[in-house]
Amino acid sequence: MILATTALAAMPANAAVNASTAPNMSAFGGMAKLIKAAQKEGTLNLIATPRDWADYGDAMDIMTNVFGIKIVSDNPDGSSAQEIEAIKTTKNMAKMPDVVDIGLPFVSTAAGLFANYKVRNWIDIPKAWKDPNGNWYGAYTGTMALCYDASVTPAPTSIASLDNLAYKNMFAIQGDPTAAQQALISVFAVAVAKGGSVKNIQPGIDFFHKLKSKGIFVPVVANATSFASGSFKINLGWDYNASGFIAQAASIGKTVKCIYPSDANVAGTPYVLAINKTAPHPAAARLWEELMFSEVNGKLASEFTAADKALPLDKQFAMAMGGQNTYVMGGATPITNVQMIRKGTKTTPAKAVSVPSKLPKSVLPTLAQQATATDLLKTAWPKI
Amino acid sequence: MSQVVATRTGTRKGAGPRPYKSRVGSLKSLLPLLPFLAFVGYFLVFPLVFIVRDAFLGNDGKFTLDNFVECFKGVYGHSFYVSIRLSMISALIGAVAGSLIAGAIVKTGSRTRKAIAATASVLANTGGVPLAFMFMAAFGTEGLVTKSLKALGWNLYAGSFTMFSATGIILVYCFFQIPLMVLIYSPALENVKPELREANDSLGGTRFSYFTRIAVPLLFPAFLSTSLLLFANSFSAYATARAMTAGTLPLMPLLIGNLVDGNVVANQEHLGHAMAVSMIGVSIIVMGIYLAVLRFSKVRS
Repeated sequence: MILATTALAAMPANAAVNASTAPNMSAFGGMAKLIKAAQKEGTLNLIATPRDWADYGDAMDIMTNVFGIKIVSDNPDGSSAQEIEAIKTTKNMAKMPDVVDIGLPFVSTAAGLFANYKVRNWIDIPKAWKDPNGNWYGAYTGTMALCYDASVTPAPTSIASLDNLAYKNMFAIQGDPTAAQQALISVFAVAVAKGGSVKNIQPGIDFFHKLKSKGIFVPVVANATSFASGSFKINLGWDYNASGFIAQAASIGKTVKCIYPSDANVAGTPYVLAINKTAPHPAAARLWEELMFSEVNGKLASEFTAADKALPLDKQFAMAMGGQNTYVMGGATPITNVQMIRKGTKTTPAKAVSVPSKLPKSVLPTLAQQATATDLLKTAWPKI
Repeated sequence: MSQVVATRTGTRKGAGPRPYKSRVGSLKSLLPLLPFLAFVGYFLVFPLVFIVRDAFLGNDGKFTLDNFVECFKGVYGHSFYVSIRLSMISALIGAVAGSLIAGAIVKTGSRTRKAIAATASVLANTGGVPLAFMFMAAFGTEGLVTKSLKALGWNLYAGSFTMFSATGIILVYCFFQIPLMVLIYSPALENVKPELREANDSLGGTRFSYFTRIAVPLLFPAFLSTSLLLFANSFSAYATARAMTAGTLPLMPLLIGNLVDGNVVANQEHLGHAMAVSMIGVSIIVMGIYLAVLRFSKVRS
């Protein structure tokens, strides 16, 4: 190990690279060599990364079908806490996660667990959302969207419009706001719509209380299963999960429509990607990060022809749809959004969530504001 | 629901202990138990030691009692009341309804009894998210039962009925609590032989004296122990309640889940572990009450 690191400094372009400590792509001697090293490892262990979450499926397919790296996806519906715990408890095991996708608050619980690595598009990530050493960085954010069964009349247009007895037993959010970030930001969105702000969520709590006492708000965890059972028809959630939800609803013969509510435009803090310091597949982990932060507006795995696959590996990488754009395809806001728009590399997929004619200014509760809100909700939520 | 198995094997073992002469012999008899002991050690004792140790540590890794102070305050303290109350109600309903059903079953033929016992054991082990889903699919706004009743002219949801409340949870818990009571209480009922009644009658006893002197003392320990089992069963239930309340009901297992898991609260596992130790404490107190009552009832008879 020591030998390899010393050798690295002397001749960075050569084969004897210690992938576990490589701080960037050039340490491997270029993209083609990084891909080669990843192919040698053959596998990438992911955790808590569902295929239908922010369109991760398309990125996974590029990894597997273009670069030939098998993906082992463990506990796809797991939480951030479980991801960190998995790194701590599976030390030195082959199944240890290589990369994690965690909520920003959990970065503080993972001191010393991640490797420093800066992707090629490092400069495009806003300063607020990255560790200066490349220990972790935000990858994508979401905005609150309102999805509803198309059979609901009248069709809801705003959060305030939910206060209507026609929606009795229909409205739900994605779980407990003190446990699921998606539910927590839902409370923020309701607060903003009802005259509160990211600093004052009390109007949101009051509105939930009102809707619950009228029987409109149903405290069921909104997901495809509870939707199928008819437990709710309207829900608030991330815009990047809308297309997945619409597809799941379609599979049981239901039509779901999604809109951005006209009275709240609330985004969440970004989800963070980080590489496990002791990843069993360090090169594959780094290739995954390069792919997820690639801004290329290119081809999906299914669009690669045999001729494409015969091209040099770095050429193939340059023509594959970048992860920042697969996030866009899933409906998320990529972390390099501003730069992508400037460069004109942002893809324009069919929108799953329709935008109202007038949308309020976007707000984003900071981590501190989220923590304050969570403390308040711990006592207030059980009483709504 | 693992307690069910433990209780049953417990009684079976107690029924016919083989006398062992030497200590070596008794050690040898433990040998076949090794896989079981290893299992219990790894999945019960080891995590237990870890949780107890962790409950007394702060985030800095130093000894502290703060976690326990915190866990009796605010919503955490309130959750003791909510959890214990809900568990007591669901145990009481389960115990009363279950013992009445068991009483009815004992009088039926052995084939019916076997069929009911088999059904009860399936129902008693139904839980988690599938159970919540079953009830949503039946009694939800779009549920089959709801729709059938609507067709008959009764709209369940016309008033303030909702499944997603404490009452709803108790209703759903009854689905496994009552069969569990039937399952465990029936053998005790079968032990009350008709001969006892005849003896009571021929010795000049009344119906009242039969109940107070024979039936109740004979059945009380079994009734109490099963009720406590039902209490523990509902006290520790997690997934069903989680799917049906989205945190609007502060139950201890749900709060612990939020503290040690989840995507919002970080750095609070130690408080979660202190809550878990407190739950174990509640269980120990309940067991203590059970043992005390058992001893008292033995002394009296």
